[in-house]
Amino acid sequence: MARKYELVYVVSPDATDAQITDLHAQVESIAQRLNGQIEKTDNWGRRKLAYEIGPHKEGTYVLEVINGDGELMKEIDRRFKVTDLIIRHMIVRVDEEQSVVERTRSKRTENTRRRRVARGLPPDRQPGEGQRGDVDDDRDDRFELNEGLER
Amino acid sequence: MNGKRSFGGGGRGKAGQGQQGKDGQRRPMFRRRKVCKFCADKIDDINYKDVKLLMPFVPERAKILPRRISGTCAMHQRKLRTALMRARQLALIPYTAE
Repeated sequence: MARKYELVYVVSPDATDAQITDLHAQVESIAQRLNGQIEKTDNWGRRKLAYEIGPHKEGTYVLEVINGDGELMKEIDRRFKVTDLIIRHMIVRVDEEQSVVERTRSKRTENTRRRRVARGLPPDRQPGEGQRGDVDDDRDDRFELNEGLER
Repeated sequence: MNGKRSFGGGGRGKAGQGQQGKDGQRRPMFRRRKVCKFCADKIDDINYKDVKLLMPFVPERAKILPRRISGTCAMHQRKLRTALMRARQLALIPYTAE
């Protein structure tokens, strides 16, 4: 049974690009050897660390989404622990949480659609409907809205 | 208070009670009802990688903002906590402010 894991590792800021791609190749070869595959790789680039880890104040973050089993991740974990170039890494299993999220999301859209139909509305939200748009996520005015109303 | 009810501190807490009778302290405390941000915005997935989402729950001292202040519901506070702890491990969020 394939599981999905997320692997994030922080590479030391002195590492060259070649070294970073080399690390990625290492992960890939381990994954291939233990029959898993890499679903996605994402280089977040250089970021400032929230706290100092040893002498380092910044690091390069790389995220890999890997399909495989626990043995594979154990091997990667072991390997990364002894790699000096990596100053921090973390492996998280994500498939279970993702399925839960998906389920709640589909359930909610289904429920709203059902309720809207019961109220005699078309099942999907029309543009320009409701008090405020769905997209203004910039400011949270929920906390100011009723300010002067009650006294 | 002619039968008028505040619709402020409903839900938990008894913010609106015990204010009649005493004339000495008028202007009763009003609390707006707090709303769980994740319920209201329908954020199902509290992810440790989303620093922008997590930052408001980490005040200056870098401790996790308690539920009684942020108004987050129990379920989402639990998820928020795990996300924050993970983000801390990866140095995305500080453990403490120096």
